[in-house]
Amino acid sequence: MPEQPVDVGPGGENVAGEAPAAEPETVTDDAILHDDDVELERTIGLIGGLAIGIGTMIGAGIFVFPGLAAASAGLAATLSFAIGGLIALLVALPTSELATAMPRSGGGYYFISRSMGTAYGAIVGLGLWLGLMFASAFYLVGLGHYASAVFAELNIALPVSPVIGIGLLFGAVLTALSIGGTENTAKLQNVVVGVLLVVLTVFLSYGVLDAVGVFGGGTVPEQFFSRGYFPVLTTAALVFTSYLGFAQVATVAGEIKQPGRNLPLAMVGSVLIVTLFYVVTIFVATSAFGAERLGEFGETAMVEVARDFLGLPGAVAILGAGLLATFSSANASILSASRAVYALSRDALLPRKASKVNLRYGTPHVALLAAGGPILVLVATGRVELLAEVASFLHLIMYGLMCVALIVLRRRNPDWYSPSYRVPAYPVVPAVGAIASFGLIAFMQPASIGIGIVVMLASYLWYRYYAGDVTLKGDL
Amino acid sequence: MTDRQSILVPIRVLEGESVPEGVPELLAHSHVVLVGYHVIPEQTAPGQARLQFEDRATERLDEYEEMFEGAGATVERRLVFTHDGQKTIDRMIAEHDCMAVLVPNATGPVEDVLVPVRGAVGVDRLARVVASVFGAMDADVTLYHVAAADTTDDDVQTLLSGITERLVEFGMDPSTIETRIDRDRNPLDAIVDVAKSFDTVVMGETDPSLATFVFGMPATQVANRFLGPVFVVQRERASADEDG
Repeated sequence: MPEQPVDVGPGGENVAGEAPAAEPETVTDDAILHDDDVELERTIGLIGGLAIGIGTMIGAGIFVFPGLAAASAGLAATLSFAIGGLIALLVALPTSELATAMPRSGGGYYFISRSMGTAYGAIVGLGLWLGLMFASAFYLVGLGHYASAVFAELNIALPVSPVIGIGLLFGAVLTALSIGGTENTAKLQNVVVGVLLVVLTVFLSYGVLDAVGVFGGGTVPEQFFSRGYFPVLTTAALVFTSYLGFAQVATVAGEIKQPGRNLPLAMVGSVLIVTLFYVVTIFVATSAFGAERLGEFGETAMVEVARDFLGLPGAVAILGAGLLATFSSANASILSASRAVYALSRDALLPRKASKVNLRYGTPHVALLAAGGPILVLVATGRVELLAEVASFLHLIMYGLMCVALIVLRRRNPDWYSPSYRVPAYPVVPAVGAIASFGLIAFMQPASIGIGIVVMLASYLWYRYYAGDVTLKGDL
Repeated sequence: MTDRQSILVPIRVLEGESVPEGVPELLAHSHVVLVGYHVIPEQTAPGQARLQFEDRATERLDEYEEMFEGAGATVERRLVFTHDGQKTIDRMIAEHDCMAVLVPNATGPVEDVLVPVRGAVGVDRLARVVASVFGAMDADVTLYHVAAADTTDDDVQTLLSGITERLVEFGMDPSTIETRIDRDRNPLDAIVDVAKSFDTVVMGETDPSLATFVFGMPATQVANRFLGPVFVVQRERASADEDG
């Protein structure tokens, strides 16, 4: 059982007089050990880690984006997704190294605060929390679209579009369920992800065979860059929300068994798997209808694609899968957001009260409400693309900084830094990862960039006001 | 006398589970591995629960540790926050090399110990635990076997005398050891039934099979139905179990 030393304890106090909680003594494959024989058990295996990553990601890229992406980039949207996947991979590799060196809860926030200092940590940590809220809101609006499609399928005409109402309802239900301490949500997540992957594999295999002409049609129809080259990059920026899940694996790094092995496998594995599924999905979807018509179908375009291939049963299957996928993505994001609140309050960047655990249910009700409440406000805006882009923006900042953090740590090489996984082709991979992450931001809409910058600025000001004296950087 | 054996005593420390009456005296001659654990839902990071509950749990464990030491046991203790209590218990058994796990239930002074024996497998460990825990007490030990239709009394007698010999080897007084054989009964019901007139039960863990997967380990079932403390002697672990 390899034991790893951990970084030297943080210090300082926030305005409420709370100091960051002490760092553990040792970190092993099975537990995190604090002094006085107190241990935190690691209970999530490789499958669980993959399910968190894939479960968070698969909802958006396959069930919400195909129509939107095809409308703006045509068949070349496949390339947009491939670019997104490549950037995610370039970041997932450095993240894996950081996570094996510091397998503790908090993910990107933890790595950055310990290597680059409290200010960067605060911006990223608060940004991660808010970014996850934007992401959850985006998944919930997607869920609303699928639920409305169910009504349409049943020929029930509603006077007003129920999309936002349903999104709000599910947002409230999810928050309540999490606070109530639903048992076995992780096992359920594993099953949901398994079912989704099977349904999609069957559907996409059929779709690919059809697209290349095995069943007659043979309709790889249009010019690849039908909208030109530039939209490929703006679309990549838009759909990057589909790749946020691997970072959620890092937020539970403290609970993963054999983190040295399972964390890199879960993060890199989930990115590779969903990239493959995304690219094939867009290819199949655009071959079925052509980008023009696909774009008209909007958020639930995949239902029409399935209907085209497999008739009503296909449409029903994809409707069900879409509901499941968006639901599980939203659920995973709310839980990650509450983990982020915990990590921040542990480090005295948020009031300690924020991570208080409910006596009756054993759940962090304050953190969950702090995630669930604002999500409802965001859902109410109903702006799918804006929500997605702001979530992407905040995550891209974190991703870029994680790559920088890796380079900083490697150069400083403190005693406690001994990752069991090392990034290949250092420093090329993290450097390119950082440049690509920051670079992708340039292709977003001005409104998303503006909101993102406001969030970062507010995070920084909060840190200066509330926790200016706290130091988190490990072992200088 | 044998060496003190390590006995694991798991306590769900924050859910009102405490060390029941009589248990510290029961383990007076053992090395107690006291594990206070708290199972939290998946929504909660274990560190989050620690932040809030560590002090309270530590206070309780201090108290329990004192009780065991007061009775004469040597004590090692752990406090674990986990999503999966069974995983924690299994890990503790492996890390502390525990011979047996005690399912703690209240008991008076222990005078009669029931030791159900299934077969020849694992009897050495069973004997070691019985001898080390009860050897220095004035307790009567009854070795009990529910025979299958195709085994003769002689076979069973051979098995049970073998264990008696081991116990004597480990320093027990032969006059305190009795044997008892029953036939034509469901072993589990028979054990629970007979156990009623005993103070505590020591039995071996069985190998996992489909039946144990569905119905739970026989030892666990006995522990659930018998109201006194049950020692579950662990089978030898070949190597670390693979995780899923």
